[in-house]
Amino acid sequence: MPDSGTPVELLRGLAVLAEPPSKEHDGIIAALGMQAAPSSSEYSDVFMFQLYPYASVHLGQEGMMGGDARERVAGFWTAVGQTPPAEPDHLSALLGLYVGLTEQIAIANAEGASAEAMLLDQSRGALMQEHLAPWVFAYLDRVVELTSGPYGEWAILLRDVLRSEVTSGGALPVHLREAPPLPDPREDGSEAFLAGLLAPVRSGAIFTRSDLGRIASTLDVGLRAGERRYALEHILAQDAPGVLTALSEEAGRQAMAHAAREEWLGGTACFLADRALRTQTLLCELAESGALSAEEAADGKESGDTTADVS
Amino acid sequence: MTLDDLNRRVSAAREEVEARGETFYPGASRIHLAAFPPRERWNDWVELDSKSWPERVEKRYMLVPTTCFNCESACGLLAYVDRDTLQVRKFEGNPEHPGSRGRNCAKGPATINQITDPDRILYPLKRSGERGEGKWERVSWDEALDDIAGRIRTCLEEERHEQVMYHVGRPGEDGYTTRMLAAWGVDGHNSHTNVCSSGARAGYHWWMGMDRPSPDHANAKVILLVSSHLETGHYFNPHAQRIMEGKQNGAKLIVFDTRLSNTATHADHWISPYPGSEPAIFLAIANWMIQEGRYDREFVRRWWNWQEYLEEVGGNPQGTFEDFEAALKQMYDSYTFEFASAESGVSVDQLKAVAELVSTAGTRLATHNWRSAGSGNLGGWQVARTLTLLNALLGALATEGGTFPNSWNKFTPKPPRLPHQHPRRWNDVLWPDEYPLALMEMSFLMPHLMRQQEAFVDVYFTRVYNPVWTNPDGFSWIEMLTDKKQIGQHIAMTPTWNETAYFADYVLPMGHSSERHDLTSYEQYNGQWIGFRQPVLRAARERLGEEITDTRQVNPGEVWEENEFWIELTWRIDPDGSLGIRQFFESVKNPGEKMTVDEYYGWIFENSVPGLPEAAVAQGVTPLEYMRRYGAFEVANKVGKVHEQPVPDSELEDIRVDDAGRVYTHAPVPPSPKAPGGTKIDPDEDGRRRVGVRVDGEIVKGWPTPTGKLEFWSRTLRDWGWPELATPTYVKSHIHQQNLDSDQMPLITTFRVPVQIHTRSANAKWLDEIAHTNPLWIHPTDAARAGVDKTGDLVRVETEIGHFVLKAWITEGIRPGVLACSHHMGRWKPEGHEGPRLGMNTVALDQNESDWDLTRKKSGGPFKSADPDTMRVWWTDVGVHQNLTHPVHPDPVSGMHCWHQAVRVRKAQPGDSFGDVSVDTAKSRAVYDKWLEMTRAASTHSPDGTRRPWWMLRPVRPERAAYDLPEREPVGA
Repeated sequence: MPDSGTPVELLRGLAVLAEPPSKEHDGIIAALGMQAAPSSSEYSDVFMFQLYPYASVHLGQEGMMGGDARERVAGFWTAVGQTPPAEPDHLSALLGLYVGLTEQIAIANAEGASAEAMLLDQSRGALMQEHLAPWVFAYLDRVVELTSGPYGEWAILLRDVLRSEVTSGGALPVHLREAPPLPDPREDGSEAFLAGLLAPVRSGAIFTRSDLGRIASTLDVGLRAGERRYALEHILAQDAPGVLTALSEEAGRQAMAHAAREEWLGGTACFLADRALRTQTLLCELAESGALSAEEAADGKESGDTTADVS
Repeated sequence: MTLDDLNRRVSAAREEVEARGETFYPGASRIHLAAFPPRERWNDWVELDSKSWPERVEKRYMLVPTTCFNCESACGLLAYVDRDTLQVRKFEGNPEHPGSRGRNCAKGPATINQITDPDRILYPLKRSGERGEGKWERVSWDEALDDIAGRIRTCLEEERHEQVMYHVGRPGEDGYTTRMLAAWGVDGHNSHTNVCSSGARAGYHWWMGMDRPSPDHANAKVILLVSSHLETGHYFNPHAQRIMEGKQNGAKLIVFDTRLSNTATHADHWISPYPGSEPAIFLAIANWMIQEGRYDREFVRRWWNWQEYLEEVGGNPQGTFEDFEAALKQMYDSYTFEFASAESGVSVDQLKAVAELVSTAGTRLATHNWRSAGSGNLGGWQVARTLTLLNALLGALATEGGTFPNSWNKFTPKPPRLPHQHPRRWNDVLWPDEYPLALMEMSFLMPHLMRQQEAFVDVYFTRVYNPVWTNPDGFSWIEMLTDKKQIGQHIAMTPTWNETAYFADYVLPMGHSSERHDLTSYEQYNGQWIGFRQPVLRAARERLGEEITDTRQVNPGEVWEENEFWIELTWRIDPDGSLGIRQFFESVKNPGEKMTVDEYYGWIFENSVPGLPEAAVAQGVTPLEYMRRYGAFEVANKVGKVHEQPVPDSELEDIRVDDAGRVYTHAPVPPSPKAPGGTKIDPDEDGRRRVGVRVDGEIVKGWPTPTGKLEFWSRTLRDWGWPELATPTYVKSHIHQQNLDSDQMPLITTFRVPVQIHTRSANAKWLDEIAHTNPLWIHPTDAARAGVDKTGDLVRVETEIGHFVLKAWITEGIRPGVLACSHHMGRWKPEGHEGPRLGMNTVALDQNESDWDLTRKKSGGPFKSADPDTMRVWWTDVGVHQNLTHPVHPDPVSGMHCWHQAVRVRKAQPGDSFGDVSVDTAKSRAVYDKWLEMTRAASTHSPDGTRRPWWMLRPVRPERAAYDLPEREPVGA
């Protein structure tokens, strides 16, 4: 069995916990010493309404599940000789793949196939560097901020385990380099801007429903039930400067968090920090310039446009 | 605690749980089916009740496996049996099933609609008026059984065995009823296969001696499908998931389909040929590969019967393989890409690209044809024959990623009390003189053959079959079924009302997927499995300690399962055993008592399924309990090249090797757990049986063909009058452009949408909501020419024998110059009849001598029933029954009905209404006579005085003497 230092059983157990709760989770939770099993509603709140555990959401230019970003991950599965599962970019699946590769490395080493083990190790490193590290640490930080319950405990543990797996920052993945920056609504229109704002790879920030709810509450504007884009359009229509300012502050806060990872995450953290800072700046300018008037922000929403998000 | 400590704790917990045989890591993280109930908890599974939302009400279920009965795939289902009410609440997939692997298409979960259908047949019914009048009375099973059994007994006592006939649509089982008919001594097995897959199967049969393909899609490099049906309708689920798996692994997908089908939308190369031209394309690809030397010479040398070809056709008995290669080059050199392009309308460039791709597949070329072109065209069997030529050139047969013969990927276990007798009398209605090489019974010609032979069938079972609706020329079927001089008694065994049951004497309610026992095995990947269909409420109640002795105790109303019915019927046919039949239905443990289904299947699982008893012991259960608990078992995986397997020394006793390399032995046949079947190869003159072939000095098993090799050239076809078709070749279809008038177009009817069954899904509300009609696919250019302005306009489609009226769907998804209409809808019931209301038109049937009219009186729509959903039916258009207007087109070689029609399409005429059907059955008889002229009868072409080559496959084989041709023309009864 693996002797690479990767705690495969722990990692696999944590991977399982990112799936809908079931009775089988009880044994894992007990082994981890967690205080309580999460409920279905806690699962729904964290993974279905706030923080979507898919690489494609965080690394895709559209900020949505599927698309090229998922295809890219599926291609990685194929490249390492595995059949991609139905949701190849789900956090559980990616962690499962990481564990699987770790076990294969151990087997190859045990059989004296050092060349094969080296190739597998390179694959495992690429998986971490290209498909996990660019989003999972910021993601887990946000989970910790969102909830102190079982999923908070889970996120802290998983963050620690994965942190111990990152050996070097490495080069910036191509799909990050090629991701276009957040568009300026004054040049590209409000639709493109809002889409980009909710795509973490473009904005450098993860804006949750909870964030929007908090901003709406602070500004005392009405939060309409719907997907994030829909809700955002409506609070912007009510108080664009206030909302933009609040979002700017949140982007700045997340830029600092990215920057704090630069020491061990290298260029990826720098890239994301830069994106978040640029977002902060742009949002601030927009707030001051009075851009995104009610008409612009509301453009399209009366058509019942509820562009598919992930929930 | 450190991370390492935590890691050790999780590891210890996992080991402890797995030591109990339970699941520790569920879901996607172990790359498995996410969130599937672990099997150790199937006995008591808790879910929240969806209908109680937002309250959190827990429901406790027993998960009981069965297999789907809605197509032939037999995918695994798990019935969720409510532990409080002991009713089935839903069906999901069974992850323990090796074929379907937990996945299902829409038809599987819709089983819940069928078992709760408010209009289903719940009790045995007997006709109380005239046939077809719609008057029925409820009778007891005893009354029906005694009446039917008495009639069959009289037939057997009076040596009128051929007057008992069993006509099956969806078999859904392996060997139970053929065993029963053999026990009765009746050559009365009548399958639907000649309106289904015989064309393709004949093509495979002539090559390999096995008649179905089993492509290993998941491991292929190139997948080539000639099917608008199988990958969307029949083996859809097990094949589609493996095709996608293959694609995910980098395979390229080539789809031949004149329509833009679901499958075609996933293709890397969609080829839309003029229908019937497919063999011309395959021969062009083959020719290019031959001329370019892009084939596996070693495979061809070892496994093709090229020596026999050189000897018999080439006039060069001493010829070398190089001589054969030269002949091969010459044989196909006229099949250029330009020729194929002219025939098919597909560009030369596209054909070259496909050829290039195919040639790079090596032994990982997975090809498939089931219906589609193989069942649409005169000579359609050459589609599979020429397609297999590509595999045979590349050596991509029985290889990983290639195409296997079905029998090597299928396991049919031997049952207890296997009859040792064969029917003594040949049935001319099923196997007529004119079609000696037909792969299966000429079932769809029955009305014509009955009339021609002046035959009489005293007891006629239609079993999950609806020939009035499914077959071509349905009005001729009604004429036959209502003629008591032709049909003495008609028993419709069906879970649902259908167009044929309206003309029955008895309608006997049979179970759906979750209400019956069946044992199945189908070729779906490179492996072998068995699937067990079972009455799930019976299994559930037995788990709770109840003793169930008859499935009617748990089924709704008096719905029965067929196996118990057949056992009971047989005992009533032969109550004292004097006919010698009852013995085959007696208990093995307690002779003289009836065999039960528990004993029947228990015996099979204990004695005939390698590995199953051991797997059961590991679980601490009996093999029967294992199958009742998990529903499926994988017998073998990665079967490999059976033809290359050495024959064991124990089978090589006093052998003789003939000049062709065929090896004969005096060693007895070793015991096998498999049921006997397959082709029959004659022994040598000293009584030695064929055991294999010698190839390059080694004795290996070879193929079950007369030569033991792959038969590129068929001596049988040559000897029985078809020398011009003995090698893979191109036959111009009956709808080839040269056979059409200038105002005619071909109509493709050999497809359906993936969510519908042929004839049993009209009562599935979910499926009906998804797809409920069948418009005419017409290209915009053709629509403009016909004056059809927009989608939804009514058009009249005229066939050789009548016309039908339907709505147009103007689409670029069909090739210009070709029309298409799905065969999956257009169900009807006559006015005044009981029967289903969902998905049905109510129609008037009017007959004036041979002129028939079907007129829609009421369309679909909402109706009141015990199910509130039936008031929510929002659609009224439930399609048009086009098959009534199709005359019979029997292929003179394969016997397959050639479905494609030459039609004229025009705007609806004054007085035309949607759904109108008009037919003259006198014209249908004339078309039958015209096609009969193409046949080459056994009585005039048989090389050995027999009715049919002995070696060919046949579902129920009569004894050898029955194969001898009579001295006079057969006249039936």
